[in-house]
Amino acid sequence: MPDTAPHLIRDGRLQADDWRVYTPAEDAPDAPPADEPGWIVPLATWKAAAATLRARRHPVGVLVPPNADLADLAGPDDTLETTGIALIAIDFPAYTDGRGYSLAQLLRNRYGYQGELRAVGDVMIDTIHYQARVGFDSFLVKPGHDPQQALTALRSFSVHYQKAYLVPA
Amino acid sequence: MYVYDPIDQQLVDERVAQFSDQTRRFLAGQLTEDEFRTLRLQNGLYIQRHAPMLRVAIPYGMLAARQLRTLAHIARTWDRGYGHFSTRQNMQFNWPRLEDVPTILAELAKVQMHAIQTSGNCIRNTTTDHYAGIAPDELVNPLVWCEIIRQWSTLHPEFAFLPRKFKIAVSGAIEDRAAVGVHDIGLQAVERDGTLGFRVWIGGGLGRTPMVGHLINPFVEWQHLLTYLQAALRVYNLHGRRDNKYKARIKILVKDLTPEVYAQQVDEEWQRIKGGPDTLTQAFVDTIAGRFTWPQYDPAAAGDADDTEARAATDPSFAHWLRRNVRAHKVPGYAAVTVSLKATGVPPGDISADQMDAVADLSERYGFGELRVSHEQNLILADVRRSCLYELWQELRALNLATANIGLLTNIISCPGGDFCALANAVSIPVAEAIQRRFDDLDYLFEIGELDLNISGCINACGHHHVGHIGILGVDKAGEEWYQVTIGGRQNGAAKPLPDLESTRGGGAAIGRIIGPSFARDTVPLVVDRLIQTYLRLRDSEAERFIDVVDRVGIDPFKQDVYADPEVAKPVQPREAVHA
Repeated sequence: MPDTAPHLIRDGRLQADDWRVYTPAEDAPDAPPADEPGWIVPLATWKAAAATLRARRHPVGVLVPPNADLADLAGPDDTLETTGIALIAIDFPAYTDGRGYSLAQLLRNRYGYQGELRAVGDVMIDTIHYQARVGFDSFLVKPGHDPQQALTALRSFSVHYQKAYLVPA
Repeated sequence: MYVYDPIDQQLVDERVAQFSDQTRRFLAGQLTEDEFRTLRLQNGLYIQRHAPMLRVAIPYGMLAARQLRTLAHIARTWDRGYGHFSTRQNMQFNWPRLEDVPTILAELAKVQMHAIQTSGNCIRNTTTDHYAGIAPDELVNPLVWCEIIRQWSTLHPEFAFLPRKFKIAVSGAIEDRAAVGVHDIGLQAVERDGTLGFRVWIGGGLGRTPMVGHLINPFVEWQHLLTYLQAALRVYNLHGRRDNKYKARIKILVKDLTPEVYAQQVDEEWQRIKGGPDTLTQAFVDTIAGRFTWPQYDPAAAGDADDTEARAATDPSFAHWLRRNVRAHKVPGYAAVTVSLKATGVPPGDISADQMDAVADLSERYGFGELRVSHEQNLILADVRRSCLYELWQELRALNLATANIGLLTNIISCPGGDFCALANAVSIPVAEAIQRRFDDLDYLFEIGELDLNISGCINACGHHHVGHIGILGVDKAGEEWYQVTIGGRQNGAAKPLPDLESTRGGGAAIGRIIGPSFARDTVPLVVDRLIQTYLRLRDSEAERFIDVVDRVGIDPFKQDVYADPEVAKPVQPREAVHA
């Protein structure tokens, strides 16, 4: 039976995901998608077309790879202008690649990003608690992992030692 | 001994529940092998040559009698009646069944123990001086600082999936017995203008590319220790290499960036988070210190009628043991006693369940029920009244735990090697035993004097061969076991006092140098013997140790003598690439 249950955890509950990742055409790598709701664009596309995208009716999500230089997203003096950005998604190509955790911390603390921060990719029942602690507030649970269990796993631990990190609600 | 508060206990209990569920999902096919691997590793569970291996954390080597009894119980119930102390001050069980591991972890949690982060690419068990809290030369008691770091590093949300494993060592004493120079981060307590702080060495480590750490910050005030560690780890987590596991340790990042640039990046990050929520306060440090039960020493102990010296004068065996296995204690009338797990014929660091129970009893009868595990794979009875030493020695002797060889050649540090470990290229334990048999004459052993001999069964260097005065490394050549020999390594200070701030060598550690082509297994004891003979010929007095002679004359005289011996030279091996 196909797995049709929603896999997105957002605002502390499961919900349908109406966002999709935009893959630029090979001959036009910098061209943005049409002005439609629900596009998540790669950081490279955002960097190339930020001015265009910011002026549009429909804000986009920005997909940040683990090796991203966040300066591509931010302005000078560590400021992050969020006009035109509906959400930032950090990609976990493999759950063992922990760079996304530090990127999330930098976005939240250094750049003061307060919008939706989504974990995508190899997001598991077993990683979601840590991801919530470093500042993610939405999670696209990978196929094969029960989203209901993932929701429960947000609160895998009720006590913590590190004071500088969030306690999942 | 640190005593858990309800939060510590709840965290460990919740971890057991989490891992039980993960194991259940794996066995039910809901977690793939790949998905489960890292999760089980972060709970100390390896899949080894014969069976899973479970590595139990002994935080900073501190062990209470009741915990040792639990380890004995686990060894009897779920293993084969023994355990193995590793060079990371942990205990390894070689034969548990995967299905039983959640139950074992629950059993450990009952005595405030766990296996959290004893493996995997995360912050591992913090290690320290095995005389922590009892050494006369302590500037600060590192146990409190180790516990603070243990808590901070336990289930750290940002640093659970680092490029590679990460090891922190803390030294609070003048003499560095924690080998701070060969850890990813080594912290050395220092005082400046009456304020406590830490020298921070980063980028040391053994393994495939042995390096001595760099002094990245000469003084981090104690309040800022955790934010500094956070900054150091963040730079590594973001920029350490992930494309090649052999180049993924922080030492490679520090080398590639240069220590200066790495230090600058850490400092930039630190300035942003310094003074933040993880800044330590005196009240917090006091709270942690207050959760330790500290031994209530008897002030009258210094005045005990003590016939130790008289006994030693008439009993040479006792005198040997007294000289090698007993150390000064910070409190008059007390001593620290090393229980040697290096009897000939017993794999280094192995201890039977019955011995564990017996040592637990001894720690209570002859002290306050507190022990230390040393990275040299021995146990230490921390607080023994000097007047009871003779009696204790007799009891230890009956248990085969009184071999008088601490600091001597037969106190061999060894990894489990190819008999157990799936990574090993060659066996280590039989080599250790063959060397111990060749040097079984105690008088000769004492004549040779202080000597660290370390054996690793592969380049991962769990036996710390690079920092042995004599190091032996198992290598594989066309399916055969060969052994490469290094000399001149050391884990800490040279005999000559180093200049303050030891700016070039982390804590005085040094990596041994390879003497030449490797040797067949049965030749290794002979090679060691030749090295010893050269040393005895060249030393200027009994006070000049093997390592001092290597420092003075270099490796060439040793090399020449070894390879000139026709017995050694039999099967000549081509020179291989080393430390690649």
